[in-house]
Amino acid sequence: MPKNNNIGYLCTAYQCEQGRAEKTAFRWIDSDFHRTDVSFEYLNWESNRYANALEALGYGKGDRIFLYMPAMPEVHFSFLGILKMQAVAGLLFSNFGKSAIYDRLSDAEAKVIITKKSLLRRVRDVMNDLPSLETVLVVDLKDDEDEKIRSFPALLRGKGASYTVAPTDPQTPSVLHYTSGSTGKPKGVMHVHGSLEHQRRTVQDVLQLEQDDVYWCTADHGWVTGTTYGIYGPWCLGHTQVHFGGTFKTESWFKLLEQEKITVWYTAPTALRMLMREENKIKGQYDLSSLKRIYSVGEPLNAEIIHWVRRMLGKEIYDTWFQTETGGHMIVNRPGLAIKPGSMGKPVEGTAAVIAVDDKVCETPDTVGSLWLKKGWHSMFVEYLNIPEVYNAKFHGEYYDTGDLAKIDQDGYFWFVGRNDDVINPSGHLVGPFEVESALLEIPEIVDVAVIGAPDPMMYEKIVAFVTLKEEIEWSRKIELKCRIHISNRLSPIAVPSEYYQREKLPKNRSGKILRRVLKAEYLGEDLGDVSTMEV
Amino acid sequence: MDVMKELTDVFQMVFDDDSIALTPEMTADDLDAWDSMSHVTLLMAVEDHFNVVFENWEIMNLPDVGALRDLAQKKLSA
Repeated sequence: MPKNNNIGYLCTAYQCEQGRAEKTAFRWIDSDFHRTDVSFEYLNWESNRYANALEALGYGKGDRIFLYMPAMPEVHFSFLGILKMQAVAGLLFSNFGKSAIYDRLSDAEAKVIITKKSLLRRVRDVMNDLPSLETVLVVDLKDDEDEKIRSFPALLRGKGASYTVAPTDPQTPSVLHYTSGSTGKPKGVMHVHGSLEHQRRTVQDVLQLEQDDVYWCTADHGWVTGTTYGIYGPWCLGHTQVHFGGTFKTESWFKLLEQEKITVWYTAPTALRMLMREENKIKGQYDLSSLKRIYSVGEPLNAEIIHWVRRMLGKEIYDTWFQTETGGHMIVNRPGLAIKPGSMGKPVEGTAAVIAVDDKVCETPDTVGSLWLKKGWHSMFVEYLNIPEVYNAKFHGEYYDTGDLAKIDQDGYFWFVGRNDDVINPSGHLVGPFEVESALLEIPEIVDVAVIGAPDPMMYEKIVAFVTLKEEIEWSRKIELKCRIHISNRLSPIAVPSEYYQREKLPKNRSGKILRRVLKAEYLGEDLGDVSTMEV
Repeated sequence: MDVMKELTDVFQMVFDDDSIALTPEMTADDLDAWDSMSHVTLLMAVEDHFNVVFENWEIMNLPDVGALRDLAQKKLSA
């Protein structure tokens, strides 16, 4: 049994103690396809040096340290170093704009952000408005710029490669991801070191990785899948991963699958749909004989993709479902369980999932209701940072309300139906309408706005905006471009609405609340439902 | 018209980054902010700036900035 619950220790030093010091922890493939192999021993040393460097600056247990970098080896060294010193690692997507960064760092009262030069300008835009932020560490800066913007390489110089990880209580906070809701700002979802028990079990039971597997998870580390199953889940069991620094391109991804002899591949439906669109580029071109199976996460995996993967690649693909809050797989398809194409599968061992109607558990098959999970799995989030009332509201007695709607069939398989709130899911990233609407209202021409999610054949859901403009202003391509650039730089490219419609006024109830469901029904050509409360 | 210089202005505006210095060999891999999600907005801005229209098939497989420059140049000369 490991002597310490610390995730950083279990992914590095513990693996060396188990005789895997020389085994490749990860193979880094840069965008030019240059390879660098990093052993568990080197990963241990480097993460120790990063922990030593951060401690030398006076940081330690409980401090919140954010990573704002694209995929690069330094992500892993710093992430594990932060966890080793029992600080909290906050994760940001590298395409986040300044508002997205500000909202998260201010809510978390982050003390440090680790970034790279090309992203530094966005940090500069907000850092003077963040009183808690003391240090900006830049991984590719040669020398310190000033007392606040520091060169991480300079700081690492002379730092030792040994570090003793203090005994870590399983309830010690570890990782902080932010997720969007229907209202308000994104919520900080806090996890603890003890979550690893669930991730370890699901890597064994669901991903079913073996010691000679070469595993590639394409998820960005800003996403919960990217940390749980793209960093520490596989490493706590000593598995070899591939990490890629290039962007999505059909040829690059298939070249990597072939060249690196990937055996288990974890990706997302949007990526698979993009590959389907370009199947002429891959058909018969690549030897994927090493690939044993594929997993998918983020959006429901429609039956069409499953059939395409079987036909085109001759492989099986398994859909998995979980959330930032659950911290690990909850309902899955996996080898050994017959697949019903389009189904979420069945709950993982040790997890109980039910359907609730009118806040009561409903056992009638094929009834659509709220998807609830019985509390108590190891990777359950422990708080929404600074908003305990919102956290408490997510629980009904012994059950956590996922916010998703689903049904269970006669055979016990779960089927995803949709969200029971206004959160939008473009390509597996949850986007809150409030964030997008707030940013659009900063455009001078716009006086009122509402956004909804609508089905999209490529992204699963797209964002659609309805805008009311100042008098005598007509919607134009120039205004659309202005909106797109503004949202992209303020929030993120994923939050940019795909479609825009000008309206004279927006449907609201008598309290002034926008009735997004009416807009959605109108957009989809469906019945508007009860509009008795709508202001006319 | 120096199309490369004009393109640089567009990239700087779209990605809100005055430090971007384009070269013909540059690809999305060389610019952190340039990803598949921001690509649509970028092309829309390029069309708007040069007052040209790209067909889907023309922009599906643009390998680098040089190809985008050449395409814009061709449209301007047409």
